[in-house]
Amino acid sequence: MSPDVAELEQISAADFFYRNRSLAGFDNPVRATYTAVRELVENALDACELAGRPPKVMLTLENVGGGQSDGTSIYLLRVRDNGIGLRPEDVPAAFGKVFVSSKYRLMQSRGTFGLGGTMALLYGQITTNRPFKVISGRKGSPLYEFTMKIDIQRNEPVILGKRILAGVSRDSMTTVEFYFEGNYKRARPKIIDYLHQTAIVTPYADIMFIDPDGLFFYFSRTTDQIPPPPKETKFHPKGIDFELLKRLSETTRTRKLVSFLTTHFQRVGDKTAREILKRAGLSPDLNPKKLDDRQLEFLFRALVSYDNYLPPDPSVLSPLGPELWEEGIRKELRPEFVKAVQRPPAVVEGHPVIVETAIAYGGDIKPAGEVQLYRFANRIPLLYDVSSDVSYLVAKRINWSVYGIKSLEEEPIALFFHVVSTKVPFKTVGKEFIANKPELAREVELGWRACARDLRIYLSRKRRAQSAARRLEMLARYYKLIAEVLEELTGERPEVEPLLKKLAKKARIEESMGVIGGASES
Amino acid sequence: MPARADRAESLEEVRQRILEVAERVAEALEKGEFPKIRYPPNSKGNIEFREDVGYIFRPKTFSEIEGSKVKSAKTLAGVLYGLAKALDHLQSGLTMTKRDFYYLHKVERLKGTLFPEDQRETDARIVLMELILGMPREAFSITSDPRGWIYGDIELVDMTGRTIRADRVGEMGYSVPPRPENIKFKRIGVKAVVAVEKVGPAKNMIELGIPEEYKLGIAILKGQASRSMRRFLRMLSDEGVPIAILTDFSPWSLRIAATVVYNSISSAHIPDLAAPEARFIGIIAEDIETGFFKDYQFALEPLTPADLKAAMDNVDLPNLQHPFWQRENEWFLKNKKKAELEIFKAMSPSAKRLKELFVSYLREKLEDRLGVSI
Repeated sequence: MSPDVAELEQISAADFFYRNRSLAGFDNPVRATYTAVRELVENALDACELAGRPPKVMLTLENVGGGQSDGTSIYLLRVRDNGIGLRPEDVPAAFGKVFVSSKYRLMQSRGTFGLGGTMALLYGQITTNRPFKVISGRKGSPLYEFTMKIDIQRNEPVILGKRILAGVSRDSMTTVEFYFEGNYKRARPKIIDYLHQTAIVTPYADIMFIDPDGLFFYFSRTTDQIPPPPKETKFHPKGIDFELLKRLSETTRTRKLVSFLTTHFQRVGDKTAREILKRAGLSPDLNPKKLDDRQLEFLFRALVSYDNYLPPDPSVLSPLGPELWEEGIRKELRPEFVKAVQRPPAVVEGHPVIVETAIAYGGDIKPAGEVQLYRFANRIPLLYDVSSDVSYLVAKRINWSVYGIKSLEEEPIALFFHVVSTKVPFKTVGKEFIANKPELAREVELGWRACARDLRIYLSRKRRAQSAARRLEMLARYYKLIAEVLEELTGERPEVEPLLKKLAKKARIEESMGVIGGASES
Repeated sequence: MPARADRAESLEEVRQRILEVAERVAEALEKGEFPKIRYPPNSKGNIEFREDVGYIFRPKTFSEIEGSKVKSAKTLAGVLYGLAKALDHLQSGLTMTKRDFYYLHKVERLKGTLFPEDQRETDARIVLMELILGMPREAFSITSDPRGWIYGDIELVDMTGRTIRADRVGEMGYSVPPRPENIKFKRIGVKAVVAVEKVGPAKNMIELGIPEEYKLGIAILKGQASRSMRRFLRMLSDEGVPIAILTDFSPWSLRIAATVVYNSISSAHIPDLAAPEARFIGIIAEDIETGFFKDYQFALEPLTPADLKAAMDNVDLPNLQHPFWQRENEWFLKNKKKAELEIFKAMSPSAKRLKELFVSYLREKLEDRLGVSI
């Protein structure tokens, strides 16, 4: 099924990514600049969230010269987070080795490739031949500084220097700094957009960025509340591939097939395991380590084709939740209306999926002449290939006029879509847009429709209030004219102000009733 | 039936009526209430049709302009503004046309309130003012362009007090004024009055000396009879003068004739515009088929699409429901042709012959339809 992986282990993971760096988003200096920032920010956010503390991420990007005519130059990127910090013994492996991460566990995380920022460090090394530095420590323990390189062929960290910067670290923190060849000028719009959108989906994070021109961007947190961290779980049998099954069988400590299944898979009890093994024609007492390829294949087929499992456990997922998301959208976009909805867990290709949608309207959101769609996968903004995304297709097929929106393009409305999953169904290797899976499309559509129902109520109240104000204004005009004309006719000008005041008061009462909610007028 | 207006409402009466409306509105405002004006609308349900008297305005339901809604506040302001302008004109002895009234709204001061989009808006308000005041618009100084003349041995005293003989004032006779109610008849020397749709043939009759020689009055309608002309014909009819109506033979002409006899829906709320004693003498289908013009069918004109549409609409008009009108109308639908009064010219090689033709046609018809011999 996957000869690439087999080969990969022979040529070293680092080497493989070195040869295929375009896959990881480092195909040119502009894209590389954006990807480097992005990988390290995501690493930092993950580290803080795992520690259960609101992230505080400081980024600085310096142009250190060596510029070329096309705008390419050498940059120093420094990223500091307030995450849990690393023990000194873990630092070399965490940053100096590219993992082929077939973790035998399953959990929602940001990392696009499960590589964290190591690819970025590798890229820096390839383009500048300079070492990178990691400064990390835990509160109360010493603060270490490592100067390192990666041995690409052997996929091993090479420690060039190690020193203690402080005997006792005041706070837990990690700083990574490295040089790379990039092009900030052209990457800048994407980077700012990326940080801005990250702030939308991470309202509990403080993100600071000082760019090479000395400009300071600050996306401040407005809440301390962090979504509950995901729980680790075992694989669901519907969500595995052959390679994974093979590895599990090779590394398992179980001695019998039946306990192999109940130990490594969720939703598989003794009864289900025996049923599956019966279908596979394998004895429950076989040693999983001694299966031949044929037997493994029988087992794989039986596992995947069995249909009576409970759906995968969604507790591995960590959706943002409507309140936090509305908070993020509100703080970054300042709309006059926002509504977020979290859909119940669904299953796509054997993996649990939760879709979150939101709609924001008005305020600082202005009509853009195109659909304003913000997409996120596992709290990462997706900035490319919007028109191929499942959410874009859904946005286009919903009849928005039902909800009081004549045109998504011409009205101040923004749509938001967040999918969390242990395996986000990206369509391409670039991982920038989500495949048009019917189960997923349905979730997006139902989510947006739920948001839109609230928007419709909001808009109709708003329009009613506006038309009441217009009505009042027109009545005032006519009554002033009536008073004038009556004066011409009778020689006396009647008082119309009491009547107008009465009207204004009535209108205010109606309006406030509408806003407080539930005032159902015909 | 509404009381017959034997005379025009006096200036004082109109002024009082206008002020009454204004004061009622002012009172409500002073009390901090929304003003209301009740009036009988000229809707279908409030209009009856009777063959012997024509359209009658008999209000069963009433409408209310209730000033709490923007639309009705506008209507209210519009009516009051219109009344103020009307009173101003009235007191200064000025009249205005519907077009004038429209322009009185095209003023800086009314921008954003009553500034009209087109004249239909202000025309509709004139009708509303008539309904609210219960008076024809002429009473509050809004007059049509005067249209319609009367020629013949009729002596009358007009509003200015001058005595006028309708065959001594110009080649088309006396121009009927906007408010004929002010006219008093002094002497009527005609046996009958023939109301002619078209100016050309009517002038020919006058030029040929027919009114003098045969003691006939000629009323020139010039198309659809104006309100003032209809009122004037009714006044003559009330004086016992037989009225004959002579029109083209076309779907439109049926309406013109019927409007003189029965009044029209749109002015049904104005009393005394119908002349039920008047008789339509022609041109009728029988004249073409077997009568006076039977040898001149080659002179007929084809119906235009608009003519045909009018004929189809005529099927449902309340004042054309009598079998006579419907028979006439069916002829158009069947034959898709019409005859015009100018057909007399197609029959006459000389002026002398034209006079003979007019006279013999009128003699036959007046005898037959009104029992008048000339």
